[in-house]
Amino acid sequence: MITREVAWRIFAGEYNSSNYEIKGEGERAPSYIITPLGAMVNRVFLAGVLTDLENIGTGDEPLWRARLSDPTGTYYLSSGQYQPEATAALSKIEPPAFIAVVGKTRTYSPEEGTMYVSIRPEKVTVIDARMRDHWVLEACKSTLKRIEAVSDAKEMAMPTVDELVKLGHGRVLAEGVLKAKEHYAEVDLPRYRQMVVDALKYLLPEYQVGSENEMPEEITANQEEIEEAAEEDNEEKVLAVIQRLDKGGKGAPWDEIVEEVSKLGMDKTVLEETTNSLLDKGMIYEPVLGRMKRI
Amino acid sequence: MEKEELAPHVSEISRVLGNKVEASVIEKELDTYLNLYRVSLETAKRSVVKKLGGDPNALSKGVRKTIGELGNSEQSVDLLVKVLSVNRKDIEQNGELRTLIYGMMADESGTIPFTVWDADRFQLERGQVILVRNAYTKEYSGKAQLNLGNRATIEPQPQDTLQLPEGTEIPSYGPMVAKVADLMEGMNSVTISVCVLSVEMRKIDTPNGPKTVWSGMMADDTGKVQYSAWHDFQLKKDETLTIQGGYVRSWRGIPQLNFGERAMVSRIKPQFGSENELAKPKSRGIGDLEMVGGAVDILVNGIVVDVKKGSGLIMRCPQCNRLVQKGLCRIHGKVEGQPDLRIKAVVDDGAGALTAVLNKEITEELVGITLQESLKEAKEAMNPDVVQEKIEERLLAKPIAVRGNVTSDDYGLMMIVTEAHLVVPEVRGEAASLLSELEGAQ
Repeated sequence: MITREVAWRIFAGEYNSSNYEIKGEGERAPSYIITPLGAMVNRVFLAGVLTDLENIGTGDEPLWRARLSDPTGTYYLSSGQYQPEATAALSKIEPPAFIAVVGKTRTYSPEEGTMYVSIRPEKVTVIDARMRDHWVLEACKSTLKRIEAVSDAKEMAMPTVDELVKLGHGRVLAEGVLKAKEHYAEVDLPRYRQMVVDALKYLLPEYQVGSENEMPEEITANQEEIEEAAEEDNEEKVLAVIQRLDKGGKGAPWDEIVEEVSKLGMDKTVLEETTNSLLDKGMIYEPVLGRMKRI
Repeated sequence: MEKEELAPHVSEISRVLGNKVEASVIEKELDTYLNLYRVSLETAKRSVVKKLGGDPNALSKGVRKTIGELGNSEQSVDLLVKVLSVNRKDIEQNGELRTLIYGMMADESGTIPFTVWDADRFQLERGQVILVRNAYTKEYSGKAQLNLGNRATIEPQPQDTLQLPEGTEIPSYGPMVAKVADLMEGMNSVTISVCVLSVEMRKIDTPNGPKTVWSGMMADDTGKVQYSAWHDFQLKKDETLTIQGGYVRSWRGIPQLNFGERAMVSRIKPQFGSENELAKPKSRGIGDLEMVGGAVDILVNGIVVDVKKGSGLIMRCPQCNRLVQKGLCRIHGKVEGQPDLRIKAVVDDGAGALTAVLNKEITEELVGITLQESLKEAKEAMNPDVVQEKIEERLLAKPIAVRGNVTSDDYGLMMIVTEAHLVVPEVRGEAASLLSELEGAQ
């Protein structure tokens, strides 16, 4: 039986901590991202706030980058011409908006040992706050199940799939938990438990008043996140521009890059900072003086 | 070693000595070797036999084997095994009631059913790793069965002395007590308690001649199941039964309960509530359904994650009701298609996904459109796809509850929906109780 890949309800805080992918071998074999809590994710169902949205491609060949924020972090989405439905839907949405996304996992490994994860949407639709809250609750329940399974596996001297199934965990989750256990040395369960507690409080109005004391801290954390995100954003933009201008395969001419990014509202100083950072990261190089090329 | 524990060894020594020596003498000697000089049991037995003039080699020596190496008639074997299941059963033997223990044991080479003929002798627990000594095997329906008789001993061992291969579990042919929701293709020797919802007698032709079969629906508090009784058990509607020796065969993935003349059917007290209660569909998880393959009249809650192609306004062949595409029926060629509405939605509950098929009436009510309106809209837009788009817009990402029979084939699970409604989620109450549960645990 070919079963459709289930859509996991999973928080960004858990998904983005993943750095383990099992690549499917053979033609139609699916790939899975194994999260630290043992979710074997190929498809997700997400809901949250679409905070920003940008077409870094062209009109003919759109490539939408979007950020979806949930109570625990940010999901990165990218949708191009091969996702016509999602791409068409995204192009009509004005952030900020509550959206739901059904999508597939994607990974990007610029170098051995690092892995960035994102989502390639299949379906995108605008929802209301109530549906978003419902998703948060579902994600909480789903995360708790995984925490329990990981914690049960920890208690066992020799955890096996069958033993975990006997304790009432699903077979897929049991397999994922054992795979995660091999890859992630020590999983910080209290962190994930706290994540669920915070997300539940997020749903309850009585906690939103009392959280004033925590506000400054949260803001700084957010600020940092925003700055980091802005940097990453710039890098993505520059990379896309370089790729687009690299017509003959010899690299994109510097002057054209400057001109092109200025249209996107980026000045030369920021561009220089960004290209330096990309050069450092080994994501671009200078094949000849005055030309930049993607690696 | 206590006196009771010595008894089987005393009788064994006595046998080797041709029953010529009094048990009390043997017991005293054995006790001296074991408890005063503290030699091993084996050495003690050999020494006692030798001292009392017998042949120590006549003592049965357990041969250490793995389950895979066992023959059908081992006299005395030692095995290092894990106890997979422990069941008790009362039997009558020579007018006396006694309890025996049966279940499954496993080692790295395989699994085997076992029987302990005197339940009072050992404390066996599921999951325990034990060294079994002096067990014997017998053949039962072509397979070896391990017997622990009165010469057998067990010694608990640390868990890590035995590592079972991944996937070792109780094979489906082991006897088991099941609920309706547990039933799965290939199960044999199932014991199940159910209420009969309907009975129908039919005569059918089989390769072995005509047969009478009593079939219908049964239910317990986990769901409903279709059954076929291949013997006249005088089944009556509304009676509650315990069936022993049932087996499960699937039809399009739906597990069905079968029982024939070798099964035992006993009437028990009603225990599942009113008929009304039993008739209600029970909720099931989709992950669960993927495991068992299908179910009769159940309720599934999930999110609509896709509205598949072929939803919305479709044309059907007036002769065979098949889908007409581009004016052509697959069987009848060019036909005048009859318009119809339907939805094929993927419902996903986070543990599994199924395709829910909704007919015209249910589609009209759920989406709030009629076939007539849809035809008009499609005509105005000059595109029948607008109906599907509208349906997707209304349903995508929404929580839904669907009721119906779930079947499965090569393409996964499918539900023919008999009732459907969108669910308005109640979040805060559940969030609050979950939070207090979590904070209570901290």
